[in-house]
Amino acid sequence: MKRYIKIFTNGLVLENPLLMLMIGLCSALAVTTAVANGLGMGLAMTFVLLMSEVVISAFRKLIPDSIRIPVFIIIIAAFTTVIDYVLKAYFPDLSKAMGVFIPLIVVNCIIMGRVEGFSYKRPVMDVIPDAIGMGIGYTWVLVGISALRELLGNGTIFNIQIMPQSYKPILFFVLSPGGFFVFALFISLNIFLKSRLKNVEEERK
Amino acid sequence: MKNMLKLGIILAIYASVACVGLAFVYAGTKKVIAERQKTDLEAALNDLFPQGKGFDEVTGSLKSTEPSVTFNNVYEVKDGNGPLGVAIRAVGASYGGPVTVLVGVGANGKIAGVKVLESKDTPGLGANAANPTYFVDRTKRLTFTDQFKGKAVTDPFEVKGDVIAITASTITSKAITGIVKVCGQTGSQWLATQTGGTK
Repeated sequence: MKRYIKIFTNGLVLENPLLMLMIGLCSALAVTTAVANGLGMGLAMTFVLLMSEVVISAFRKLIPDSIRIPVFIIIIAAFTTVIDYVLKAYFPDLSKAMGVFIPLIVVNCIIMGRVEGFSYKRPVMDVIPDAIGMGIGYTWVLVGISALRELLGNGTIFNIQIMPQSYKPILFFVLSPGGFFVFALFISLNIFLKSRLKNVEEERK
Repeated sequence: MKNMLKLGIILAIYASVACVGLAFVYAGTKKVIAERQKTDLEAALNDLFPQGKGFDEVTGSLKSTEPSVTFNNVYEVKDGNGPLGVAIRAVGASYGGPVTVLVGVGANGKIAGVKVLESKDTPGLGANAANPTYFVDRTKRLTFTDQFKGKAVTDPFEVKGDVIAITASTITSKAITGIVKVCGQTGSQWLATQTGGTK
């Protein structure tokens, strides 16, 4: 049990896909202009990651080494298309807002990286906490970045006015350069969290 | 050679299984997506023509006179005893890429309403064209698209003239205004031939 918890928490801070591994940044920066988008993208990504990791881990002995990458892409693409249809059918606004970035989950490095580096070599039981941990690690960063960007750049959160009416939105934060600044802030926050965690661990020893 | 075949077959099996799975999902969601798009469209048309009772898609007879603007769909709106107006879904180029606008033209020669359906313009600047809480005229609480409502199609449609522009988004303002102008003119001309024919 302890092992699974360790795999799970790895994705949250220590090996956070966005802030520590620094992969899959393109779509992460592009969709985080509003909290709803960030949350939607995070959950969509978590779903695809979990399903692909489980399937690939379950079939890992049946996937020949030399064609593993095409097989991975087929599996990831299938689940991405599923989420694309579901969003279009039941959350049309979200699907519209995220546009091309949902289909682009197929080539997201986080999924490719986890599948190739982790689930292809591990049993299903190891893979589930990893996918959920990585997914939540991805989602909390997206929600955090998009909350800050929406609040400063639009004065709202979830489209609800938070800032007083007199507040003039700082557009910069909604535009791409602002995304980089907020992202950098989150990287430093994550490094701070990491050093804290290390201190706690050392004290225990 | 033998190995190649084996790998090819394995790959084909994975691909076919994924395809079959996707086919089921597609079949399951297709109806909902189509229905959703239909209700979305009906809601939008109802917004433009609240008295409208039925909508018919018109194909072929209405073409854009402007090369930069294309008409995707045209809907004739009826209220029981004749055409009430025409709604045109038109696409034109704007700052961040194509912008899709639904323009309602009334049989009285006036714009019934304008709705921005899709736009890729800068959030907070050009995207304010579709923002219901962004007012170009704060005292009248008029959004950018609201100002076209009730405007005669023969008006000059000049940004910063008779059309108030979105702050710092002249290109978006001009693009949408241009689309509305073309739709208004061709739409009202077409409506004139329609009512003339039935009389």
